[in-house]
Amino acid sequence: MAAAMSVVVSAKLGSAAVLSSWKGNKISSKNLISMRTTARRGLVSLRSPRFRVFCAAKSETVGKVMQIVKQQLALGDDAKVAPESQFTDLGADSLDTVEIVMALEEEFGITVEEDNAQSITTIQDAADLIDKLVADKPPA
Amino acid sequence: MASRSKLSGIQKQVLSLYRGFLRTARLKSPEERHRIESVVSAEFRENARNVDRKNFVYIEYLLRRGKKQLEQLKDPDITGLSTLEINKCPAGPTVEKSPIAN
Repeated sequence: MAAAMSVVVSAKLGSAAVLSSWKGNKISSKNLISMRTTARRGLVSLRSPRFRVFCAAKSETVGKVMQIVKQQLALGDDAKVAPESQFTDLGADSLDTVEIVMALEEEFGITVEEDNAQSITTIQDAADLIDKLVADKPPA
Repeated sequence: MASRSKLSGIQKQVLSLYRGFLRTARLKSPEERHRIESVVSAEFRENARNVDRKNFVYIEYLLRRGKKQLEQLKDPDITGLSTLEINKCPAGPTVEKSPIAN
């Protein structure tokens, strides 16, 4: 239990060097759980400005998503696809959208929860969610 | 086409079933996966076109049948799906159990 918790903490704090060294010195396994919540709360406020950068997904991701969407909907190279394009405007029905999300999952090695999958309607939505999931994904 | 936030409960169930099939297909061998995907996709699209969207009783029946077939397909011994057509009766896909697991 304690070991599992510490994995979570280090995964969450992995990028913040200051916090992780602090964690190494101070946190004993006994009060790990309470430390974890405070650490997390601190992390959110630390992160929020950076998080906004994440929200505007990397253009690389957007491009990859566009490519997969085109492939999935069998659109030609000349088809106009913009980040704001709605899947439905590109001629996708709800079944196509499910297929797109599944293809993206596979490409990026992530798992999209059912609720999130339903809320993806544009390429930008998809790219944002992917970047978020990839960033949150604990290193293998 | 309604926007996705306006999907009804039964539509969500259908999409979730479809997702379940595609997820399960990933666990099979590549060529079987491809077969399963085309069979499943054809079946869903066929029904989406032909079934009256207000015929809830029939849709519920199809959902139940699909869920059962998905359960069967999840069995690791099951390697593929196949369809049968008798006198062009639209027969649903039947799950095929292979004697040799590949």
